[in-house]
Amino acid sequence: MDEIKKYTEDELVALLQHQNKQAFSYLYDNYAPALNNIIFRMVEDISLAEDILQEAFIKIWNNFANYDSSKGRLFTWMLNLTRNLTIDTLRSKGYKKQSKISGDENSVSNLHDSTININKFDSMGLRKQLESLKPDQKIIIDMAYFNGYTQDEIAKELGIPLGTVKTRMRTAIIELRKLLQDK
Amino acid sequence: MESKEIILSGILELYATGLASQEEVNEVQLYLQQYPEVANELAQIEAGIELYAKTFSVQPNPLVKEKIFLRINKESTVEKVFKLTDTSTAKIISTRPYWKFATAASVALLLGSIAINISMFNQRNKTATNLEQTAKELASLKEENKLIEGDLQIVQSKYSKPVSLHGLDAAPDAAAKIFWMENTGEVYIDPSDLPETPKGMQYQLWAIVDGKPVDGGMILTSKKGDKYRIQKMKTFGKVEAFAVTLETQSGNTAPKGPMFVMGKM
Repeated sequence: MDEIKKYTEDELVALLQHQNKQAFSYLYDNYAPALNNIIFRMVEDISLAEDILQEAFIKIWNNFANYDSSKGRLFTWMLNLTRNLTIDTLRSKGYKKQSKISGDENSVSNLHDSTININKFDSMGLRKQLESLKPDQKIIIDMAYFNGYTQDEIAKELGIPLGTVKTRMRTAIIELRKLLQDK
Repeated sequence: MESKEIILSGILELYATGLASQEEVNEVQLYLQQYPEVANELAQIEAGIELYAKTFSVQPNPLVKEKIFLRINKESTVEKVFKLTDTSTAKIISTRPYWKFATAASVALLLGSIAINISMFNQRNKTATNLEQTAKELASLKEENKLIEGDLQIVQSKYSKPVSLHGLDAAPDAAAKIFWMENTGEVYIDPSDLPETPKGMQYQLWAIVDGKPVDGGMILTSKKGDKYRIQKMKTFGKVEAFAVTLETQSGNTAPKGPMFVMGKM
């Protein structure tokens, strides 16, 4: 991660609480590509994804006062807001939640290889490291984090008892953290 | 529960990935206040999956950012108008019910409402002017962009042959660049490194054909105008060299003034 950070997370939050547009621009540049990917994975339609991305950032701007840093990191809050907005949009448009991910988890990430823009961020290097993440660990993180599945839905989709979702998720994230730290 | 148990239970992972039920969410938020080590663990989990999310990024169309900023710039003016009306109505509600006072109040209300109307009207006008200005700025930026794109097309064309013109005795630091199109013979000049012209004088381009200078056209170098733009000059099929001299305005049939830059093909 050789990205040159202009603001720390605390600085960024403080500035955004005062509706600082420069900080908001930085926030967008830093997080929009990741959020865009998440929306796209859920809606599978580039222009719809970008519409939702636009609405999400307007919401982030207008509702920034609701963000409470004692409850978690900024990105987690932004992601939850974006994911909920995406789910609501899909529902209002009568879409069904996509369940493609469990079929072939690789196809989803491969799909993006050509469209990904690696700017200052060494995503290629990180992806390589993530290759050693076990498929069932990757699926469970993706289903929850990227696709907004509930515990119930994950249990059903993976054919595991509800109580196992928690422990599986923990193992998967421990593994993920290990991989990212090894760098 | 002890902090260690909490960490081991996996509830923090559910919380960070958005899987936790409302009950679990409340629970975790309580722990976060109680145990710094739990908060720290959560921060690390979140940082890990944030990195994971960033690993799979897709750059959105640049227009998305533009649209967002247009909207937040507009919304901040609308908001101000609303805040103004809110405080004024709050005062009106608190007037006393006696009819004497009611008359006075209704007059006050009328005056207040006129004041609000005037100020809203002014605000609206201001917003409209701001919007108009933004639109104008956008239009001029678009225009500029089009010009730059035109320049780029010339520079990047596969037929474009660049020729550097170097400064001579009259102005050793001066320079200019010619782009000669091999397919059409069109000649373009980028004069941005030529010094400012004295009043009444203008640069003229010469193409050296068969050892003789042939008029290549006048170069525009006004500060406000096209100095920094690539300009189209006269077309030549065969040229040995290009040169620029300083001539009296609107030029001469043969070079009379000092030569500033020159370059061979």
